[in-house]
Amino acid sequence: MIQEQAGAVLGHPVHPDSNVFVRILEWLPLPEIIPGWVVTFGGVMLGMSIFLAVMSVLVMFCVWMERKVSGHIQCRTGPMYAGGWHGWAQSLADGVKLLLKEDMIPKDADRTLFWIAPAIVLGSIFGAMVAFPLSYDWWFGRMDLGVFAILALSSTTTIGVVMAGWASASKWSLYGAMREAAQVVAYEIPLGLSLLAPLFVLGTFSLTEASAMQSGWFGMKWAIFTNPFLIPAFLIYVVSALAETKRAPFDLPEAESELVAGFMTEYSGIRWSFFFFEEYAAMLLMSVLGAFFWFGGFESPLTGALRASGMEDTSLVFSLVCFGTVLFKGFVGIFLMMWLRWTLPRVRIDQVMTMGYKYLTPLALFCVLGAASWEALQHLIFS
Amino acid sequence: MVRANRYLQDVWDTLKSTVVGMRITGKYLLRKPITVQYPDERLPIPDRYRGIHYLEQEKCIDCLACARACPIDCIEMDAIRHGKELAWVSFTLDYQKCMFCELCVYPCPKDCIHMGTEFALVVEDRSELKFDLLSFQGMSPDARVRKREAEEKKKVKDAEKAAKAAEKAATENGDGAKS
Repeated sequence: MIQEQAGAVLGHPVHPDSNVFVRILEWLPLPEIIPGWVVTFGGVMLGMSIFLAVMSVLVMFCVWMERKVSGHIQCRTGPMYAGGWHGWAQSLADGVKLLLKEDMIPKDADRTLFWIAPAIVLGSIFGAMVAFPLSYDWWFGRMDLGVFAILALSSTTTIGVVMAGWASASKWSLYGAMREAAQVVAYEIPLGLSLLAPLFVLGTFSLTEASAMQSGWFGMKWAIFTNPFLIPAFLIYVVSALAETKRAPFDLPEAESELVAGFMTEYSGIRWSFFFFEEYAAMLLMSVLGAFFWFGGFESPLTGALRASGMEDTSLVFSLVCFGTVLFKGFVGIFLMMWLRWTLPRVRIDQVMTMGYKYLTPLALFCVLGAASWEALQHLIFS
Repeated sequence: MVRANRYLQDVWDTLKSTVVGMRITGKYLLRKPITVQYPDERLPIPDRYRGIHYLEQEKCIDCLACARACPIDCIEMDAIRHGKELAWVSFTLDYQKCMFCELCVYPCPKDCIHMGTEFALVVEDRSELKFDLLSFQGMSPDARVRKREAEEKKKVKDAEKAAKAAEKAATENGDGAKS
């Protein structure tokens, strides 16, 4: 039914439920002998590998960008040598270094949990990423309740982090893990509540449809422009997203000046890089989610212009433009997070708790009420 | 009511201070970095910097004035004299002891030992710290070129100044003669 709704909004039928890579395999002239389930399975596998590769490149770009942004904020230049042009290959070099490093496990560590923890952390973020549509026509898993899936899967990270902290048999790690648990429990609430406000405005849990709902006004009918209560809701979302992704000023689980490296103190080599990877992937996830529900998702003046020139929403070029738009918005969000990180000092744990429970949660509730009332008033007046 | 005001004030202060802070860091983000890519480019080192010595070997007359002036006896030199010719054997300076006090530079009658601008002194063994100033010159090559250029420029300038002064003196004298 929701697909029909989205189709009605877009003015064309939405493609039936199928992974974009399965569709690519189906489109290829494969011999008849291959059974259908192999094609489906192969498509999913192909999608996963391409997805992992693309995500790795994006994360590496994020790391390089972070180092450049932090460098320039401190009047330095950041990496300049690796690869030639402004040290573009620095992340690649670091990756190779981490792969070659010795992978150590402390003697008293709980080996099984110690091994599983990074996989859970990374897997939860990738699981959440699957729920994102790539364009109106491309997706991995089409979910009508995409927001639920993303929030649920991305908060599974906490389990991995607590597991890592507990299994490490180190006080620093345990402190980090406890802080993470306290922080995430406190900030899940304002995060969910602040996402509720645009959900009232857009009236959908599906990300594709949320984007389709913002397609008016030449691609500028972004949710944040249609309801004044979404602006404070977005600020609350930014703060809670920072806390969720363990970014400064809420990087207490890591807190390198107090806890060495917090929950990942005992990790080394590639296993450590999984945690690092997760941090940047989570940043991308939160930024793109914000872009979908506040800043129009796939919609921009560019897509508006393409649509005005009579281009189909399902065409290849339009899909690429959609993907690029949402990625660009995501990176703007990441830049904002980096800027904040290099501006604000780390807050104390009691300040984190105060901010989460006493300030953000009531304010988020206020925003939800306000957004809902505004929509109801609009409905009463204009219909 | 007071508490509600305070609550809102807190929220406002947090937002405001964040924005102010981001404006400051944003300004720094956009300005030119002040660091340089060190081994490739170097900031100019002041002329009076006391780095590793360099010796103008051809001027030196083996008078031992610098060695005597050295408060910790780290300069040793040896040369054989054939009439007016000097054949150098060694001129070593032990940088394990040297404290870069520049006292060796002042007594030199020929003005041939100087404090250089090179500071990056890295060796693999302590014994290597006893530098032979005959083969090693404390200034980096480009610094030496810079110094030579500066000296030449100064010479030209001095000559010009002298010429001008002479001219002026001449005209003044002429004027004086007229009046």
